[in-house]
Amino acid sequence: MTDGPDAGSNLLPGLAAVGLFLVMVLAFAGASFPAPQGFGGDANVTASIGYAMFDIGNLGDVGAEGFLAAFLIVAIVLDVAIDGAVFLAKREEGGSVVTALTDGGRDLLDRSREGPNAPRSERGRDAPRREGGDE
Amino acid sequence: MVPAQWYLMLSAAIFCIGLFGILTRRNALLFLMSVELMLNAANVNFIAFSLQWGNVTGQTFALFTMALAAAEVAIGIGIILVLYRNFRDTDVTKATTMRW
Amino acid sequence: MAGAFDYTPAIVLLPFLSFLLALGVGRSMPKGGALAGIAATGGSLLLSVWAMLAVANGGTYNQTIYTWAAGTGNSFELTFGLLVDPLAAMMLVIVSLIAFLVHVFSLGYMNDEGETGLPRYYAGLGLFTASMLGFVVANNLLMAFMFFELVGLCSWLLIGFWFREEAPPSAAKKAFLVTRFGDYFFLVGVVAVFATFGTAAFAGEGSFPALAEAALAGEAATEINTFGFAPQTWFTVVGLLVLGGVVGKSAQFPLHTWLPDAMEGPTPVSALIHAATMVAAGVYLVARMYGFYALSPTALGIIAFVGGFTALFAATMGVVKREIKQVLAYSTISQYGYMMLALGAGGYIAATFHLMTHAFFKALLFLGAGSVIIAMHHNENMWDMGGLKERMPVTYWTFLAGSLALAGIFPFSGFWSKDEVLYEALAHGLGGTPLLLAAWAMGLLAVFFTGFYTFRMVFLTFHGEPRTDVARDPHGVGWNVKAPLTVLGVLAVVAGFVNMVPVAKLTGAHIEFLHDWLAHGLGGLTSEHYGELTGQFAGYETGYVGSELTTVLLSGALSLGLALAGAGLAYKLYNVPAPVEHTDRLGSVKTLLFNNYYQDEYQVWLADTAARNVARGADKFDQGVIDGVVNGISSVSLFSGSRVRRIQTGVVSNYAALLTLGLVALLLGIGLMGGWFL
Repeated sequence: MTDGPDAGSNLLPGLAAVGLFLVMVLAFAGASFPAPQGFGGDANVTASIGYAMFDIGNLGDVGAEGFLAAFLIVAIVLDVAIDGAVFLAKREEGGSVVTALTDGGRDLLDRSREGPNAPRSERGRDAPRREGGDE
Repeated sequence: MVPAQWYLMLSAAIFCIGLFGILTRRNALLFLMSVELMLNAANVNFIAFSLQWGNVTGQTFALFTMALAAAEVAIGIGIILVLYRNFRDTDVTKATTMRW
Repeated sequence: MAGAFDYTPAIVLLPFLSFLLALGVGRSMPKGGALAGIAATGGSLLLSVWAMLAVANGGTYNQTIYTWAAGTGNSFELTFGLLVDPLAAMMLVIVSLIAFLVHVFSLGYMNDEGETGLPRYYAGLGLFTASMLGFVVANNLLMAFMFFELVGLCSWLLIGFWFREEAPPSAAKKAFLVTRFGDYFFLVGVVAVFATFGTAAFAGEGSFPALAEAALAGEAATEINTFGFAPQTWFTVVGLLVLGGVVGKSAQFPLHTWLPDAMEGPTPVSALIHAATMVAAGVYLVARMYGFYALSPTALGIIAFVGGFTALFAATMGVVKREIKQVLAYSTISQYGYMMLALGAGGYIAATFHLMTHAFFKALLFLGAGSVIIAMHHNENMWDMGGLKERMPVTYWTFLAGSLALAGIFPFSGFWSKDEVLYEALAHGLGGTPLLLAAWAMGLLAVFFTGFYTFRMVFLTFHGEPRTDVARDPHGVGWNVKAPLTVLGVLAVVAGFVNMVPVAKLTGAHIEFLHDWLAHGLGGLTSEHYGELTGQFAGYETGYVGSELTTVLLSGALSLGLALAGAGLAYKLYNVPAPVEHTDRLGSVKTLLFNNYYQDEYQVWLADTAARNVARGADKFDQGVIDGVVNGISSVSLFSGSRVRRIQTGVVSNYAALLTLGLVALLLGIGLMGGWFL
């Protein structure tokens, strides 16, 4: 597989990330902020987050906006995400549906042994297996 | 307390480490990890500014970010599975069929 | 009184309805749609007469009916509207009457002869009539232009009616293209009128003749755009552009060549084209916007000269023709030349008068010729006829009345109108415009030729001994041929009595009805106003030989004498039992005349050399420069696209790197601008 110890991945593009870091540091160094306000010594931050998340009045010690709608939307998004993940992991083969969950990952395991350069035909599992694992 | 720009620099550093990973690695799984780093850099900013303004909105949002990151990983893993199925590899530089 | 004008749109719409009926269900209608056409044109005739009565009671109508395009701000509007004044009312009656009679005659000429495609024929006639009537009542130049074009389209359809033969489609195409050449200038003229005045209305306060007049008088209420020319010069240019369409449609030199060829169409169609619709449209247009032409002495001079020249030119060609319809075709060109001469000479009434009488006697002559052609089993050669007088008396006597009118013999209608045309030209010529005298001389000379060819035609057709078996035993004609001939025959005799100027001058009796008719109506559209305009702006004054009376009598006597001389010569040469061709005596002139002065050849040569080269150059320009630029631009973007797309490698790391670099550059840019790094 890739990214082994000697993957020799190209470090040159990384310079762009370093450059971005330098630019940001330069910008932040020149910036000045007022002193942080803080939450006050005995404020109950966790309870405030809980109230904010469910839009329950102004019971919390620390101010916040209401997040009930965002909470519900994120709940739906998570649900969709899990469905999507299952959908993507499924594959149809010979008319029968083989899901990622039911084959226990054997399929994946089998083919991972054939190495990355195997052509993407359905040569598949009948081909002689190559020993030795990854490159 | 610590001035806000130090938090910003910390966040920038984490973000750029994640970015560095994306730019230099070729394995899609490492991509996912790097993206997690970048998302958490954003979380650092949220929490820093939550403290700065004495308001828990940022902290609440950081929680949502984590939830969304979980969703992103779920989808990301699914995509990587499909990628692997189609190219017999998780090397992102091999999947170049969507080019000119 | 208002009632008549409420129904004016129906005058136009009834024939259009008959067109739709004939087109849609003509096959299943009796007589192939003829009856619908007769009913529609008859209805139009009744409504026209009603409108004319309303106008006679002093009513006029100038109304915009529908605005089909309106600009924002103070730009102009494009509208359809109706204008019914004495001129339009008179023309409505003429057109609908002739169309009605032609429909009736078609029963005999087409239905009884067993022609096929009758629904198509009657649809064409209906549309033709509708478009001409629409043209007559148009209240602005653009609407007039649209109906003008429709008239041209219908003439194309009808001239090429027998499309399976060789000649008619070619003649139709020629008519269409030649008139279109003139209409091209007309269209440019319409655009010029809009650009100059911002309106194309014929009548009213803000009409373009009124604006032009105000501009020339130096009291322009609104600024008009003359494109840097002096107003007088620019108005002349615009007037001449519009005149291009007139010259094409009214078959004036040099665009007259389509008209003789148009004889390939069915004879009733020829009657309609020549008497009332297509050819009359040109002259009517000049009369309609006469207030504009009257401002420009140059345009008037050109109109007069072209008219006089055409009158003579066409008359000489008519002298040698063998076919009865060809003679009539050239006489039409010649007679419309007279009308143009009258308009150019400031004789608005004379031109209108001649337009009216000509409509009657030329429709009569064509229908008479159609009757002869039925009798001769569609042989049009006059040398195969002869002696038809005894065998078809109704046709003979009516045709003779029409011929006397055409030749301008006293007291038939043509005499009065032609005499007035020549009198106006002479009087204004003597009054200090010598160019008109030249045009007058040509017109006067043409009277002689007119008399000669008219009676040559009459004698060859009806007199002498029959020269063929068919002429000995002609095919009979029915009531539907004789009735229109009779109506028109009577009109050809009496139509001149509405305006007997010489008699009025001689006796002092007040019998110039047409003068009175045209002198009232909408302000700015009356003959009196036109008289003032030609006097004020074109410097037309009347001069006399001796006194006014002697001039009138001299002019009348001269034209009558010449007409009689021409007729007498024809009598001497051709009114013999067995006439022979005398054209050989003309020597080389004969060839010239037979070939119509080589006008066709010269125009074909012009088209072949000049037009073809221009077209070739335009083609080169199009292919080379325009297409080159377009292809060049596309090849640049193709080439750059094929290079730039290399960025899209498909490797996601590269995209990420580019994104990062872009973000760095953006941050650097914004930061440097915003002073973040200080």
